[in-house]
Amino acid sequence: MLKQEINELLTRTGPGTPMGELFRQYWIPAFLAEELPENDCPPVRVKLLSERLIGFRDSDGRYGLVDEFCAHRGASLWFGRNEEGGLRCAYHGWKYDVTGQCVEVPSEAENSRFCANVRLTAYPLVRIGDILWTHLGDPDRRPALPEFEFVHVPPEQTYTSKRWQECNWLQALEGGIDSSHVSWLHSGALNSDPLFRGARGNKYNMGDLKPFFEVVDSPGGLLVGARRNAENGSYYWRITPWVMPNFTMVPPRGDHPVHGHFWVPIDDENCWVYSFDYHPVRALTGTERQAMMDGYGVHSQNIPGTYRPVQNKDNDYLMDRDAQRRSEHYSGIRGIAMQDASLQESMGPIVDRTKERLVPADSGIIKARQKLRRAAVALRDEGAMPPGVDPEHQRVRSAAIVLGPDESFVEACRDAVTVLPGTPQVSV
Amino acid sequence: MPMRPILLNSCAMATTAAEARFRIDVPIAPSRATRVMALDPAAAAVVRSVAEQHWAGARFFTCHSPAAAAGGEAAGEVAGVVLRRINGSLARLSDELDGADVAVMVATADASASAAATIGDACTQRGIMTAAVILGDGYGTGGAGGAVSALRPHARVLMVTSDEHDVAEVLTALRA
Repeated sequence: MLKQEINELLTRTGPGTPMGELFRQYWIPAFLAEELPENDCPPVRVKLLSERLIGFRDSDGRYGLVDEFCAHRGASLWFGRNEEGGLRCAYHGWKYDVTGQCVEVPSEAENSRFCANVRLTAYPLVRIGDILWTHLGDPDRRPALPEFEFVHVPPEQTYTSKRWQECNWLQALEGGIDSSHVSWLHSGALNSDPLFRGARGNKYNMGDLKPFFEVVDSPGGLLVGARRNAENGSYYWRITPWVMPNFTMVPPRGDHPVHGHFWVPIDDENCWVYSFDYHPVRALTGTERQAMMDGYGVHSQNIPGTYRPVQNKDNDYLMDRDAQRRSEHYSGIRGIAMQDASLQESMGPIVDRTKERLVPADSGIIKARQKLRRAAVALRDEGAMPPGVDPEHQRVRSAAIVLGPDESFVEACRDAVTVLPGTPQVSV
Repeated sequence: MPMRPILLNSCAMATTAAEARFRIDVPIAPSRATRVMALDPAAAAVVRSVAEQHWAGARFFTCHSPAAAAGGEAAGEVAGVVLRRINGSLARLSDELDGADVAVMVATADASASAAATIGDACTQRGIMTAAVILGDGYGTGGAGGAVSALRPHARVLMVTSDEHDVAEVLTALRA
């Protein structure tokens, strides 16, 4: 349960809000690199943290992210022409470079310096891995570039997809921290999904539906350990890291690629979900990559030309009651990503947390909300830099491991939950 | 699969902000029956402080070993643990667990394993959910590692934190 004012604080991320300012301390995904595939390609609209922006790649390959609307009379630059080193408004020909600087106002006199005084709000746009990242905050507090492992392994070892989720970012993120739903909602997928099936850990998941939980502070956020019974009194641990504010990783299964998510606010009622799979030491196989592109694992099948899932709220996510009866899909919805999204969207655009009935098993969510609130308030009141900004906090991995009954997962997995380049993930 | 028509008001589109106002809006039952038990003196100080806040129905206790408690035959003694209410009066564990649905143990590095075992076993017998908040910095010497080992068998959920405010945070979230 949360008080309404705290729910408001955590879910509102527009300019000037405490959570909005918190998000503006971090680099966040703005686009997949595939959205701006070549120099002078069409510009792309995006809304991030309730700001409407447009991204483009100029004739020299420089990326820009600027206010979507022309400074002249507010027309969208999406209709513009991306050519000869800038983005030109289709209405009256005003032209902007990647820094947002207006470089030409055709109606002005030949030697006019008027355009030098016209500049659109602009943010940096940097490619790291398959993602174009931006920082919407104060340039004087711009942090070091992201260090998450999935964007730093060679391209053949990683794959990232993106989908639009029609609900507030926080209820989507909370699904990424909540390890207890896997044995229920995703139970069908453990046996059938090509990116999950076959791992020894799956039988532990299905053999113990009442896991124990340990929630532990980490420098950048949390480690949530879910403990299930294994053989001879030992325990199967699944360890989920959360790095503030919006990065989660799913514990791995066997030698399958490791996956995780970024949950990025579009506005207060929508978010982008960036979903990745990578393997720390080997290339993804053709079969794995194809499965990801086909919407298996944590990915979705999107309507061609968009990032909206084929299964969406307008078609009840293609609910299949027969598959539900057969337990092929526990909820009747195909695919892990859409199983999560369907339920999270069903809560409403911003779930009313004053009405919820949390249980101790929700301790990870309880602690995450507390850490977000603390960080947002400390930033607002004291200017304190929040956890997760430091690149060191981003060098985390998820893990799955079998330990003896007396072993601490934090002690035993200190290396397993830390990025050690060239070493495989710790997985069962 | 046979295709059936989907009515607008029977589909997921009814989760829009405009439709959210049609949700049933009735008061929620005020609380769970929560018992909060400090397992050691440092935890007791935290629990006493938390108990001063307004709670729906939570009851707060400190635990003592029988030898340390005044009066060896104290009424609160049950198989190795003596419970005291915040006002200092003795309480019987079995009585206090009657009707409870969650027991939250609060501990530091000095937590008593026998108290945790006694409470944990009593809760298991009664089908009462157990959780623990362990206050400490890290797992090393003097950290929370020992308490985690002591409590792990007896609490279904463990939160390890250096922030004592988490005790109140958890209780608030649980509507204690």
